[in-house]
Amino acid sequence: MAEHTVKAFTEELDAITQEVARMGGLAEAAINDSLSAVGRRDTELAQLVIQRDAKIDAAQREIEKRAIKLFALRQPMASDLRVVLTAWRIAGELERVGDLAKNIAKRTLILNQAEPIQLTRSVERMGKIAAAHLKQVIDAYANKDLQAAITVWHADDNIDAHYNSLFRELLTYMIEDPRMISSCAHLLFIAKNLERVGDHGTNIAEYIHFLVTGEEIATQRPRGDADVAD
Amino acid sequence: MEEFSAAGADRGAPPVSMMTTPTVRNNGGTLVGAAVKVAARDVNVFYGDKQALFDVSLDIPDRAVTAFIGPSGCGKTTFLRCINRMNDTIDGCKVTGSLQIEGKDAYGKNVDPVVLRTRVGMVFQKPNPFPKSIYENVAYGPRIHGMAKNKAEMDVIVEKSLKRAGLWEEVKDRLAQPGTGLSGGQQQRLVIARTVAVNPDIILMDEPCSALDPIATAKIEELIDELRDKYTIIIVTHSMAQAARVSQKTAFFHLGKLVETGATEEIFTNPRDSRTQDYITGRFG
Repeated sequence: MAEHTVKAFTEELDAITQEVARMGGLAEAAINDSLSAVGRRDTELAQLVIQRDAKIDAAQREIEKRAIKLFALRQPMASDLRVVLTAWRIAGELERVGDLAKNIAKRTLILNQAEPIQLTRSVERMGKIAAAHLKQVIDAYANKDLQAAITVWHADDNIDAHYNSLFRELLTYMIEDPRMISSCAHLLFIAKNLERVGDHGTNIAEYIHFLVTGEEIATQRPRGDADVAD
Repeated sequence: MEEFSAAGADRGAPPVSMMTTPTVRNNGGTLVGAAVKVAARDVNVFYGDKQALFDVSLDIPDRAVTAFIGPSGCGKTTFLRCINRMNDTIDGCKVTGSLQIEGKDAYGKNVDPVVLRTRVGMVFQKPNPFPKSIYENVAYGPRIHGMAKNKAEMDVIVEKSLKRAGLWEEVKDRLAQPGTGLSGGQQQRLVIARTVAVNPDIILMDEPCSALDPIATAKIEELIDELRDKYTIIIVTHSMAQAARVSQKTAFFHLGKLVETGATEEIFTNPRDSRTQDYITGRFG
């Protein structure tokens, strides 16, 4: 697309897009690190994830500040309006992803004080799928790749199915050995957080669809966790 | 061809066939459920050898505001001036195609442009009150068209028109003072009062706020919003924000062609044509 007659406008739109992509990188790293912390029982890394959440929050505030300035000073329209609006909305989703990573890290600190539990690996596997989806959707945003976004949107039922399966596994484990209830409950919350990460990735995919086409995705997303309440 | 009736006469409802048409974007599209007031089909305008408008087909909805936008020289004012035949006054100007108002040919042989213009009023970029009193500015049109039998009837028309233009409270105690002594914004509202005094159906506005400050502009925009209950309003504006604020339908012109038309909300959030997109986002023009 051609540049604006006022070049600073183009630069400001590019800058807000880059800031969202940078924030996406921070959120992605937070999820990956929190998963590593769970898998390796790494207390130090978990504490780092908790500390770094402030950076993600700051990135969201920066994006909102830039968006407010663009609304007030440039009155963006059509595709420009969608760029600003989408940046604002995605920043909100990524901030929640950061919070979920922080929550996983906090639970890791508690889990590390108890006996190791085998099911940690299953949670880690599910987390890797969620993190991969997050990476794909952030890349799709940076490249305005509609097809890649739609692929992520359709793939979320895979994460939901993993969560469903893990839920049953953890339940069985808790019934078999009541001493593990506390650790299993934390793992269940971590799994739920990862399932939420998948949902945020799906929301971002929907915003990318709106950004590129100007239309909302019309159809219902397939869901893989129908038998587990949200 | 049926002739246009004179100002102030009972014109009745538009023909049933003109009452509703479906929304068709990029093809003279109309607002859903709105009656079509003006229907243009394949309108071409030539100034001597130079063609200024190319095959413009557009439906203007009744009781709504339609905005014409586009870069300078794109033909939006030329098209606006076709609707009340103001182009007739320009030597060498030729208009072809069909332009119907409520199903009647505006360029029919029996149509008197003077009578037509009582039904299609016009407000210009620069306020142009007559060098007469505020009262006489408003009374001028009704008087020459014989719309009032006596002074009392004229007083009613003047007061009603000034009220409709949102100016009555500001001028009711100084109606004998010159219209030219009012502020720019008040003068423009006086001109609007003068326009509505002859009871038109359609009001054409050619950049009515371009010479006004933001407060006066806001008052005119508020007035436009109130007037659309009673009139069909067509506004030419260079302000995208104004078009977005005041209109329900927007038509984008470029190089003499109607590029895209549709509901204002859609044109400003998700235009279909890349030229519209480039123009409203400030990429050219």
